[in-house]
Amino acid sequence: MLVEQLYPLVIRIVRCHLPVRAAAEDLAQEIFLKLFSRLDQYQARAGIPFEHWVSRLAIRTCLDALRAERRRPEVRWSDLSDEQSAWLEFMLLDGTAAPAASPTSAREVVDLLLSQLPPADGLIIRLLDLEEKSVNEISQLTGWGQPLVKVRAFRARQKLRKLAKTLKGSV
Amino acid sequence: MNNFDSKWQACAALARQKPPGDMHAPAGFAGRVLARASIPEAPGLAEVWQALVTRLLAGSVAMLLLCTALEWPHLWERPTLQTGVENTVAQLLWSL
Repeated sequence: MLVEQLYPLVIRIVRCHLPVRAAAEDLAQEIFLKLFSRLDQYQARAGIPFEHWVSRLAIRTCLDALRAERRRPEVRWSDLSDEQSAWLEFMLLDGTAAPAASPTSAREVVDLLLSQLPPADGLIIRLLDLEEKSVNEISQLTGWGQPLVKVRAFRARQKLRKLAKTLKGSV
Repeated sequence: MNNFDSKWQACAALARQKPPGDMHAPAGFAGRVLARASIPEAPGLAEVWQALVTRLLAGSVAMLLLCTALEWPHLWERPTLQTGVENTVAQLLWSL
């Protein structure tokens, strides 16, 4: 069945880009509903598999859900766990050794910082650094031109640096 | 690449190693999707407006065709109404 077959692909994207308050299953349902209603719009073309079309739909739905979030909880240094603050100190201070931490805590820090960025900026950093997509792939998935992807990635990295410094400054 | 960026990449590389978790659809997920898909969506404001405008346009076209059909036999005859009367009737129709 189509839902069962595509679920791993959709839920992987949803979990990666999940808005803070949204439930993963609700968003996955939203994506499948859109998929069924737009199924007639899919045109099989050479080199563009059906999964790619679904990924693009899922990413755009996640981005819309992120944009629809009105307010996000503000994060302060005091809210961070010891492992999370150790990661941030490692990133911001010279001569600090990388914390001996688990992938889970590293993922928590990454998610925490990216959740504080504007939706499009967070999305682009996730696609580049967590999913290791190329600029060309991101361009195809988001519908943004390659120069726009590069400019947005550059600006998103600047904002990420500034955000981490601001967070450290709020000690 | 400056120091922050290289350290961020190290953190992201470790974050990528986090196992993805259960990727199977929960029980009944497909059924819930199909149930939601089978519920007809309430028409939005745009759809209502579009339906209204379409009907208005169809009515206007029908009226135009009717007027043309009624006027057709007299097209090459001398006008029976004075110009002033015609203008008044035209303005009255236009204001409707």
